Amino acid sequence: MVAFTEEMVDVGGAKVHTLKGGSGEPLLLLHGAEGNSGWLRFADALAEKYTVYYPSHPGYGKSDRPDWLETIPDMACFYTWYLETLGLEGIRTIGFAMGGWIATEIAAMCNHSFSKLMLVGAAGIKPNVAEITDIFIISPAQVLELMFHDPSQAPEYQAVYGREFTPEETMTAESNREMAVRLCWKPYMYDPRLSSLLQRVKIPTRMVWGRNDAIVPLECGELFKKAINGSDLVVIDNCGHSPQVEKPEEFIKTTLDFLA
Amino acid sequence: MSLDVYYFTEMPYHYITDELAEQWPSLRLTFPNSYFDPNKATDLFKRYLDEYQYAEEVGFQGLMINEHHNTPSCMDVEVNITGGILARLTSKVKILMLGNMLPTSDNPPRLAEEIAMLDVISGGRIVSGFVRGIGVETWANNTNPVHNRERFEECHDLIIKTWTTPGPFRWEGKHYNYRAVNPWMVPVQKPHPPVWVPGTGSPETVEWAAKYHYTYAAFLTEISRAKQLFGSYRDHAAENGWEAGPDKFAFMICVHVNETDEKAQETGKAFMWRMGHPLKGPKEYWAPPGYFSRAGTAAAALRRQRPMNEMSYQELQDNYHLVVGSPDTVIKKLRHIKEELGIGSLLLEAQGGPLSHEDTMRCLKLMGEEVIPALQD
Repeated sequence: MVAFTEEMVDVGGAKVHTLKGGSGEPLLLLHGAEGNSGWLRFADALAEKYTVYYPSHPGYGKSDRPDWLETIPDMACFYTWYLETLGLEGIRTIGFAMGGWIATEIAAMCNHSFSKLMLVGAAGIKPNVAEITDIFIISPAQVLELMFHDPSQAPEYQAVYGREFTPEETMTAESNREMAVRLCWKPYMYDPRLSSLLQRVKIPTRMVWGRNDAIVPLECGELFKKAINGSDLVVIDNCGHSPQVEKPEEFIKTTLDFLA
Repeated sequence: MSLDVYYFTEMPYHYITDELAEQWPSLRLTFPNSYFDPNKATDLFKRYLDEYQYAEEVGFQGLMINEHHNTPSCMDVEVNITGGILARLTSKVKILMLGNMLPTSDNPPRLAEEIAMLDVISGGRIVSGFVRGIGVETWANNTNPVHNRERFEECHDLIIKTWTTPGPFRWEGKHYNYRAVNPWMVPVQKPHPPVWVPGTGSPETVEWAAKYHYTYAAFLTEISRAKQLFGSYRDHAAENGWEAGPDKFAFMICVHVNETDEKAQETGKAFMWRMGHPLKGPKEYWAPPGYFSRAGTAAAALRRQRPMNEMSYQELQDNYHLVVGSPDTVIKKLRHIKEELGIGSLLLEAQGGPLSHEDTMRCLKLMGEEVIPALQD
């Protein structure tokens, strides 16, 4: 396992809890609505080749929320500041689910932030046929059930989800969920401007989707592909919303191929 | 010491059977409105409004109305509409609207002028309740639950300013922005109609009500819990150098009176409809993430030992959520509440579920002739 450190990055007075590990060129990971997963197998494998930065978004986990930060575009604006603070520019980025939405907003507003962009089961665009599952009106247990196509094939499932949580972990999960509500309540999990703005994105972009994603339908991956010129879409069979946890080997392979 | 007694019904569309209700996660929010028959509702509204009118005739000091959305348990979807009807149908009673949902409102000056218009039409009989709305309303109106309390407070501040500051003025807040607040309609009551706030336990609400000297109405809480909440209000008042009298406290429960205890116990069973399916549903419906603060969540756990929909008819009565009996029995129990809590107003939901027109009218008559006078000493 690659060693990682925990840092508090000060961005305009707000501390951002950041996991950092590995060596090589920088790679930014942006987590989804539920919060930072911690240093799992996928992050570790990526850290073999890259210096991985894996922050908890402002308002999540141990990171502060500046009072003004209420929306996903606010979050994107904040992250351009975060990258500037760390002296990072033109880096590789992977955005997971809601983090994919943040990544696309950044890419659309600031064309020198990223050199390559990968979106995994990303929110941000409204599907035309299906709907993005409302994860706020169902219980966290129901959300978890929908996240995985077949939990038994996720090697870390038991270690991450199949154990008793401490009161502190439960409180963090609740407050993360509140932060997601703050950011994504209405319109739910999309930005009506985004498809149009994505024409600005000229960097190599790859979408990775579980074919059986029951949270953000595969249709959204196709819409991203249509919106971002020259992008491609890799679909992983028999896989739900979190390919990085459910099928880490396939996920790592397609990711490293793309990022190389 | 006098006691103001208010009559209240949620105007239920009570034709939904338990068998039907059980097929859906809740009677709130997502229960299909295809089960609604507007013609039946027309008849129900006639009846419920007649009953309100009769409650004034027999001697209630006030009428209370409320609103909910997406549910057969409450057909009143806009207190300012029913308030307008009652303002014209009645001539003496106070009209307690408990109340307008502030956080879900996108237009506070409009609310301010609507309530002012009711106060003008009624000749100054409006009691203006302001509520956060239960979690379900947040979904139905699609207002971010994380902003519920701050929108409540800003909406309140703007309404009060609209009522008390000569216009035009400008408002630039976090959630509301106006160029020219200047409604022609301002209230009769000065500086503004009394403001009431209901609560079921959030400590922030108690503190907030005390801060503004507003009347705090405890809704369907255990007497012991209401005592704590009122105590906390009195403490806040005392810390700020004033004494909170009975007019600052109201208590809401269900009540049913019939000629004898036996008859009342039989007819009062109608309230079990109201205590059943309308109170069920997934946790997220009632408490969307972010709706309750940490303190509010802790307080919600203290409110009742068991949810009301799990209590038997007898347990509901033992816990004073529902008071049922002959006039003498009911007088005894309501006196006990009055003395225990030191309240100035008692809010009685005396029509609930499928309780018939006949049973409701008899109950109102007995309340007016025997119960209400006996509570005034």
